[in-house]
Amino acid sequence: MFSRIRFLAFVVLLVPCPGEASDGDVVLAEICEEGLAGRDAWAETPLAAAGSFSLPCFACDLLPQKYVGDGVRGDRPSPTLLRLSGVSALPAGKYRVLLRSRSAARLWINERLVVETPFPPKNGGDGSQHDTERKDALDLGIGYRFAPGGEYERIGECEIQSPPVKVRLEAFVGGREGKNPRRVELGETVVAVQAAGETAWHVLSPQGKGMAYTDADWAKYQSITHAAIRGLDAVARAALRAGSEASWRGRRENALNWLATTDDVPVPPLERGFPANNPVDHFIAKRFNEVLREQRLADGGTVDFIKEVEPLLEARCVECHRGPKAKGGLRLDAAALAREGGDSGPALIPGKGAESEMIRRITSHDGDEVMPPKGERLSAEETALLSRWIDEGAVWPEMSVVRRGFTAVADDAAFLRRVFLDVIGLPPTVEEQQSFLADADGGKRERVIDRLLADPRWADAWMPFWQDLLAENPNILNPTLNNSGPFRWWLHEAISDDLPLDRMVTQLIEQEGSVIAGGPAGFGMASQNDAPYAAKGSIVSAAFLGVEMKCARCHDSPAGSARQEQLFQLGAMLAGHPLDVPTTSSVDPEKLHAGGRKALIEVTLKPGIRVVPAWPFAELLEAPAGSANSRLDLAAWLTAPRNERFGRVMVNRIWARFMGRGLVEPMDDWEKGRATHPELLQWLARELVRGGYQMKPIVRLILTSAAYQRSVDASLRAPDPLYAAPEPRRLPAETVVDALTYGTGKDLRLEPLCLDLNGRREVDNAVDLGVPRRAWMLASLSNERDRPSLTLPRLQAVSDVLEALGWRGARQDPASIRDVAPNALQPAILAHGTFSTWLTRLSDDHPLTRLAIEAESPEGLVTALFARLICRAPNAEELARYGGYLRPDFESRHVPDAAPPVPRHEVRCFVTWTNHLLPEASTAKEQIAAEARRGDPPTSRLTTAWRLRCEDVIWALINAPEMLYRP
Amino acid sequence: MAARSAHAAPVSAIVPKGKAEHCIFLWLGGGMAQVDTFDPKAPGDASAKPSRPGSYYKAIETSVPGVRVTEHLSQTARLMEHVTAVRTVNHRVVDEHAFATNLVHTGRMISGSTVYPSIGSIVAHQRSAANDRVPPYMLIGYPNVSRGPGFLGAQSGFIYLTDTSTGPAGFTRPADVDDRRAAERLALVEPLQQRFPAGSVPADYREAQAEALRLAGPEFMGHFDLKSEPGSVRQRYGGEFGQRCLLARRLVQAGVRFVEVSHNLNFVNGTGWDTHNAGQRQQHLLIRELDTAFSALIEDLRGQRLLEKTLIVIATEFGRPAAFDSGGGRGHQGSAFTLVLAGGGLRHCGAYGVTDALSKTCEENPVSIPDFHATIHTALGIDPHAELLDGARPVPITDGGRPIGALLDAG
Repeated sequence: MFSRIRFLAFVVLLVPCPGEASDGDVVLAEICEEGLAGRDAWAETPLAAAGSFSLPCFACDLLPQKYVGDGVRGDRPSPTLLRLSGVSALPAGKYRVLLRSRSAARLWINERLVVETPFPPKNGGDGSQHDTERKDALDLGIGYRFAPGGEYERIGECEIQSPPVKVRLEAFVGGREGKNPRRVELGETVVAVQAAGETAWHVLSPQGKGMAYTDADWAKYQSITHAAIRGLDAVARAALRAGSEASWRGRRENALNWLATTDDVPVPPLERGFPANNPVDHFIAKRFNEVLREQRLADGGTVDFIKEVEPLLEARCVECHRGPKAKGGLRLDAAALAREGGDSGPALIPGKGAESEMIRRITSHDGDEVMPPKGERLSAEETALLSRWIDEGAVWPEMSVVRRGFTAVADDAAFLRRVFLDVIGLPPTVEEQQSFLADADGGKRERVIDRLLADPRWADAWMPFWQDLLAENPNILNPTLNNSGPFRWWLHEAISDDLPLDRMVTQLIEQEGSVIAGGPAGFGMASQNDAPYAAKGSIVSAAFLGVEMKCARCHDSPAGSARQEQLFQLGAMLAGHPLDVPTTSSVDPEKLHAGGRKALIEVTLKPGIRVVPAWPFAELLEAPAGSANSRLDLAAWLTAPRNERFGRVMVNRIWARFMGRGLVEPMDDWEKGRATHPELLQWLARELVRGGYQMKPIVRLILTSAAYQRSVDASLRAPDPLYAAPEPRRLPAETVVDALTYGTGKDLRLEPLCLDLNGRREVDNAVDLGVPRRAWMLASLSNERDRPSLTLPRLQAVSDVLEALGWRGARQDPASIRDVAPNALQPAILAHGTFSTWLTRLSDDHPLTRLAIEAESPEGLVTALFARLICRAPNAEELARYGGYLRPDFESRHVPDAAPPVPRHEVRCFVTWTNHLLPEASTAKEQIAAEARRGDPPTSRLTTAWRLRCEDVIWALINAPEMLYRP
Repeated sequence: MAARSAHAAPVSAIVPKGKAEHCIFLWLGGGMAQVDTFDPKAPGDASAKPSRPGSYYKAIETSVPGVRVTEHLSQTARLMEHVTAVRTVNHRVVDEHAFATNLVHTGRMISGSTVYPSIGSIVAHQRSAANDRVPPYMLIGYPNVSRGPGFLGAQSGFIYLTDTSTGPAGFTRPADVDDRRAAERLALVEPLQQRFPAGSVPADYREAQAEALRLAGPEFMGHFDLKSEPGSVRQRYGGEFGQRCLLARRLVQAGVRFVEVSHNLNFVNGTGWDTHNAGQRQQHLLIRELDTAFSALIEDLRGQRLLEKTLIVIATEFGRPAAFDSGGGRGHQGSAFTLVLAGGGLRHCGAYGVTDALSKTCEENPVSIPDFHATIHTALGIDPHAELLDGARPVPITDGGRPIGALLDAG
């Protein structure tokens, strides 16, 4: 058996190999991209390597990524060839040699062809090939690792006379399905040997027999080689980016020059009696005092404008009466403009409700006059409220003070859990909690913030934000529902690499690299969308400029200033070529004029017209003349420091992610909103530019502020726009699932998010999203075909929880906020869903089983469970309640001599596209679904009655509202 | 509106609202071949060289004179006076199942700027449950975005179960949790729930928890206990698909407004209703299963006096051509195909619309997907032109759909 130390040594060995020759201790892995001419056929002559790296064994199931452009994922040609070569000190003797490979592969030992695997058949599209039970699978004894399915396996024999021997393996990666390429994805490519007279199989290595070829050792090998290959990937990205470093340095200097030539926002002096950790708190305190003064003025009347009047205006009036195109010239989105009135004169005469135009129109029975023109009439109560409000002077304060004072700073336990969940999307471990609580140093909060900002899991926690914002929407099968490519992988790498926001946006807009293998080009894809780049344009304008252009897809925005032509100009810039407006992206003029009154919407762009790329946001930035590359122009103008909107929109989004609401709301539509703290917004935006568009310095300012660290006011039902206290905030669905999984430690054993496990489908019709490590890695399970054989039962169990909590598997459109209102399905799925069954059941592999066995007292166990799941100490009552529940039979709960579980030795059934129409495929998947629903069998190392009670306590913690709400 | 005329229902006078209270929406995923079921044509021959287009099975007479179906629908044939096979449904989305499935469920093409709600969600949103002790919209089948609530939000979503033996996801207690243990658990979680003040958002969640636990209790879960039905009734409905239909009837009785039932049993013939190649050979088993369940549902609802207020719909993403593919099966066809309506207080006529000799084009009374949706909504008393709100954007319930007047002009 391989030792742990030996495994760790692999990490060092896995470095790019500059030369051709291997040094004898490692296997040289070479990737050959040229010379196969896109055919499934062996080349006549040896192929030149495009890149190489080293491996500890003649085994590999992951290739380093291909990177292009500014370090973004690209595509390798399909097929590509992988060549593993080196020597092996295998002792003299006779051996059986196993070769596994997804496509054709050949193994030579001392230049003798020992064993080979074939090319896969064509027409993998027919779903009735191959058996699911894998009757052809080799079973080579106990402990032997069965092929994962989809891989060919062949056995050869060889006799070694005098070691060392020369070993060479060549394997096809990807290939052709007819004329179409298959995914360039390496299956489990392994050479294993069995010495004559022995039963065990070992992976071949330079040292001779490498690790045992068992499931357990293979899992270790995978985790170590994958981590090392990801490290190589980071090096490769950095190397490519070095090429454009000089030009980015130039941009940074320009940005600093711009800062120097424009006015800074002074940080106000701190108002007396307010807490402050940094300038953020100065701005917050100043604004709080200002609003408090306004509030005292408004306190005279009986109508609460903010609570009663404003929501009514928002719901029934403001949609038309706002912005530059307000109907009738009347704006009801700002106090001063409302008093000014519109074409019909002043809408409000303060003190005289009955005489005001607003009340006259609301109560009118003339169909051409009545307001609102559509929908139900305002009720008598609503009308009376408005009238009374005007009678009382139509007081229109901008904000209301929800709390007259700030809450105290959150306690250490709450702060720690909050900052962990926010920054890395996972709770602190018990050890992290203990050391933080024990630390008496005053700077400990800043230290933990800095540590978390440097934690690689920072990228995981940001993924839901970006996936929602950019409508990342891959489909694992036949993408047709406005699907994009899986550009999640690019996003994750860009965030992991701390790419500055302007550079990240530039990469997105340039859309280089792979469409289907995770490059930013995948953003440009919108399957079965009649105007894909118009759709992408509205994503970009909302995400980065706070300009909502959704309406402009088919007509000019009825209330906003967005015209359809502007959206198509933007779309054309993104596309890099002119766009024709399709008839399906318009509104039939007959429909427009169907009603009597003037239509609310206007179509100013005729279908069929061609729109050329042009910068449509002159009011944000006077753009210079464009170059030949409209994508580069767009990226440059979007992210230019002079385009102050970009920086403000980005800091607003970052702020909202940690503070619960934007300084401007809605975040997507700045024409509608106004800043609650205009100076803070501007100051933060300039800090973003000053910091080279890095996110972390801005996040650090927020996390270290007193405003972020205040304790929750549980009675707040919405985020307080003055930040006197945080509200109880629902954690994102992904965080809940990850925190539960991480807190319990249970291995979910999820299946790969893929319906084409053997890679036989053409590249456009199947994506492999891998085994999810974090919840953001899930996606729609894509079973629109309704076939039992195409289900992914274990992923479904997790997806059910995520969907109930507001995550969307299919993101057909972008979203800046999610639906997090409580409904019965959320607690239901957490109470009785399969996912909860897995986490609750004390099975043999469950870390909480060990915790339960090793606990010294019921109270100790309760304390440990509280720490792991909700990251706080139980109070005395809780300790007594749950400790008492676990007390009976506590001493005798452990069954030390229980029989250990028998490891499984059976071929796992294998259902993939190419066999899913076989009747056995449905049966197999239904069995898997039933097994998933049942959950793992309980351990026999605990007495049943006590185990059930312990599970009940775990269940109660999983179902505690605290699990869902941010502390 | 010139573009519509060839493919949509003729304009008719104002149509009275229907009186149906519930809808059972049977989904035949894969694309039901209309020529082998409800729109029979002259017999074809898949094995001739070259193959001869036409129906795979014999046609038989039905209880409505002049209306014929294929021989494997013999039980339904006797009940056709309660049924209308709408034979002239058409759309242009035939390349991909998911895309067409989305269209037939939402009544609209995908847009990228709006996620449209499914018909089940719209009905749930417009009419709620008939009884507030049950959810308005249930799905017996696999969850997917096409069945989802889109911009209407989670409140209009479905609660699903994948088959009749498992119970609804989230409401079926694990097997090792009995009543006593459930009560213990409830008592254990209670102090943790009480940490938040009344009126707070987490207190709303506590109420949702109480509702979830109530639904997991015997009152709601009892509806899923098919064993409480007489054996003869269970037998009459047939296999798993029939049992799902029986469950749908029970859910309707309990007050559920819309039940979608998926007939997703691809192991019967390999392909399910997507009868390419060899899938064609055993297709008759699927049709018979549908025939048994559908006819049982009609008879049972009638016996329970529920047929007039329960609209049954048989829907599928597209149809299939009369011609055979090289493997003896059938490809996809959207230019003309059949969706079926039954019960629901409509004036049924056995069949509506006429297709050509090979059921390739619509010759009389074409019905677009929005028209078909408008017919369902109208039957359920929902104005198909009423506007839903996606944020501030008004979205009509159907995209200009007009109900089939002939089925609604009650005499």
